[in-house]
Amino acid sequence: MKKLLSIVLAIAMVLGLCGIASAESPVAKAADTWAEKWADVDTSEHVVINYMTTGDAPSAANAGAQDEMLAELNKILTEKVNAEINIVWISWTDYLANYNLRIAAMDGAIDLIGSSTDWLDAWPNAKRGGFLELSTEMLEKYAPVTYASVPKDHWDVCTYEGNIYFIPEDNYSQWTNHGFAYRLDWAKEAGLANGCQTWDDLTTYVKYVKATYGDKLIALWDTDGTAYPASGYITSFAKWRSIDGLASGALWGGYLDDPYTINCLYLVETDKLVEYAKLMKEWDEIGVWPTDVLSNTGADNRDEFRKGKVALEQHHTNTWTSLVSPKADSNNTMYVDNPNADVGFYYWGKEAGYVTRDLVTHGVAAVSAASKNPERTLMVYDLLRNDKACYNLFNYGIEGRSYAIDENGMRYTPDTYSADKDGISTNWWWGRNDDLEIPSAAMNWDAINALYEEYDKIAVMYPYEAFVFDNTNVQSYINQCNEIYNTYMKYLCFGQYSETPEEKVAEFQEALKAAGVDEVTAELQAQIDATYKK
Amino acid sequence: MTAINPKKPVPYSVSGSLRKKLWNSKTLILMCVPAIIYFIAFSYAPLPGIYVAFVNYNYRKGIFGSPFVGLKNFDFVAKSGKLWMLTKNTILFNLVFLLLDNALAVIVAILMKEIQSKSFRKVSQTMMFLPYFISQVLVGLLVFSLLNSDTGFLNVILKGLGAEPLRLYKTGEPWPFIITLVHLWQKTGYNSVVYFAAIMGIDAAVIEASMIDGANGWQKIRYIILPSLRPTIVILLLFALGGIVKGDFGLFWNLVGRNPTLYQKVDIIEMFVYRATVSDFNFSTASAVGLYQSLIGFILVLSVNTIVKKIEPDYSLF
Repeated sequence: MKKLLSIVLAIAMVLGLCGIASAESPVAKAADTWAEKWADVDTSEHVVINYMTTGDAPSAANAGAQDEMLAELNKILTEKVNAEINIVWISWTDYLANYNLRIAAMDGAIDLIGSSTDWLDAWPNAKRGGFLELSTEMLEKYAPVTYASVPKDHWDVCTYEGNIYFIPEDNYSQWTNHGFAYRLDWAKEAGLANGCQTWDDLTTYVKYVKATYGDKLIALWDTDGTAYPASGYITSFAKWRSIDGLASGALWGGYLDDPYTINCLYLVETDKLVEYAKLMKEWDEIGVWPTDVLSNTGADNRDEFRKGKVALEQHHTNTWTSLVSPKADSNNTMYVDNPNADVGFYYWGKEAGYVTRDLVTHGVAAVSAASKNPERTLMVYDLLRNDKACYNLFNYGIEGRSYAIDENGMRYTPDTYSADKDGISTNWWWGRNDDLEIPSAAMNWDAINALYEEYDKIAVMYPYEAFVFDNTNVQSYINQCNEIYNTYMKYLCFGQYSETPEEKVAEFQEALKAAGVDEVTAELQAQIDATYKK
Repeated sequence: MTAINPKKPVPYSVSGSLRKKLWNSKTLILMCVPAIIYFIAFSYAPLPGIYVAFVNYNYRKGIFGSPFVGLKNFDFVAKSGKLWMLTKNTILFNLVFLLLDNALAVIVAILMKEIQSKSFRKVSQTMMFLPYFISQVLVGLLVFSLLNSDTGFLNVILKGLGAEPLRLYKTGEPWPFIITLVHLWQKTGYNSVVYFAAIMGIDAAVIEASMIDGANGWQKIRYIILPSLRPTIVILLLFALGGIVKGDFGLFWNLVGRNPTLYQKVDIIEMFVYRATVSDFNFSTASAVGLYQSLIGFILVLSVNTIVKKIEPDYSLF
């Protein structure tokens, strides 16, 4: 498998170098495009483009590598468009509130903004006037390579009331569908030769691990009770998809065979929800999570998973790819302590046989409405996304220090590399580009590609991409419902209540109805009808 | 003793025209300038901004350019059906805090005054004062390490003694008491300083005279110290009333957080608003709630002040 991959990569690289296969791709002829489009742009004034991203700034120890990379990059940017880039970090603590606050300040201190329609408030900020409207003329002139490489239907999903608000990261392969990462080696010991294929298998797994390794682990799942696999459970059986970006709780959506009839998952799938609540009561009794799970805020489950101290991690496929690759993270010490360690992934939808592809707008780049240099911002973005030298610097750092390329054309960390002083981070999750990506040799491609192939066979498109919701009339109901959802999910997903599951689910449904869930469903239905049933 | 005799005529006239009055008080006015500037800049100038509670705020259009939506921003608290419960909880918690805070602070201040050893007094005062400087986040973690079921200090001891562990994070009922206790632990040392200062300001001659007249310790406290503290107590209570509808979010959030078993029992306005709107970044709804709290606080202060004025005019604020 690895051999095959490297051959394919080698051929792709050779073809790429000869300019045969990709001669027509916008990235291949980027230099010419820029020369033509930017010839008459006035860049006499040197400007600083402030790029805002979520994440923690590199540690002081890593500042050297980071500064070296930025100095090198800014040299190129200055030469090409007389601009330099500066990164503004929104640290993870309360990131959403601080992110929105920074955009709302409108003081011109931010130019380029990384955003997302499902996990950051791209649409609310666009509608409140935080993002600049990007005309096609502007994009064609100042971000010509990106403009040419993004197909029209992808621009359409970034459009609201006739204006384009952001640039989608639509040429980057990743899967962010959620599920449980678990210890495949332990599952095999438990008699599950093919790993966990069903929720019943997961239950077998947790029982076995609790009995065998319970004393050595911090917990099976050291969660703080804010991850709710309830919809994951239900949609493992029912082919249903939520409309993203309405609220943190994915309450509304539709069945895939009839996506434009909107309903609330927790009202139409009562039986499955009760079944799930019963199962979680059982997990609570097995002792999968700490006794005080709902107040367990100090834990870092993922880090503990890397160290082999817990048995489950609930997140998406992309996170799993780093867990399953021993060398992908220096904290993956479970592989050192236990050479047999292996990590499997049970994804939502496995039993029903489907997954939804990522939204094209899962990562987008926007220009602040208060930016003093929107044109130059777009030019810098175009370079970072499409210029090989800029791309490598911004994504991987200085070659020879932060990364090196092996004989197969894959990326690895050189022997002199130390994660404490040679790492860089730019959190460039809004402009990655498969045409320029250098695959990492540290990844466990055998396992990853096997899962990706499985996904490709069963993947379906997200059905609501073209839908932008006008929440004016029902936002207060959405907030109410979301509050109810977050309250009851904590009870139901962790078995923290004294009533029977049937009673608690009924109480949850009553509370949702009282909070106006039906009003939101009706409003969504009306707007969905207007969008899709013309 | 050089106590100022209030009957002694003031050195300047406060009668006459306004201009003359202002001119005569120029030194006092000058001394007030920083405070006046502060209140104009941070309290009066932003007042028109209250309008944001009635608009659908747009970053580029600004507060006064955004479309007017009337009372719509108040909808979400009103529609929740919890407004009364939340307001009641918030007020009751604050009332309890207010009464216990002041009672305890007075007691502690008197006790401090009675301690003869100076070094012991300093040490105990400092120790009581310290919790005030601990961040609420740390307090939350501290309480969790004390009370949690698996590794908590309390339960480790209970288990060691062979008793059933107390599952405090799984039962809501004890939390009003835990929160009150933690609040008192944090604030008493700080609050007592004001009263301690007031006690130190009592004319020593009066206390001395009472001792000569044969008053015992208790009588001294009952007839001299407590009456002298009355104006301070009343004024501090009146000030505190203005914020009685504003909950101590930091304390509640860090102790109770996202655990619904607990917050269902001790929910206050701030907690609900935070949970309901944290995913919907909206200045307008937040301002609407703030305005609601300020209005109730304003009404409360006015009515209580009127009552105080009827009973003891000297103690009222205005």
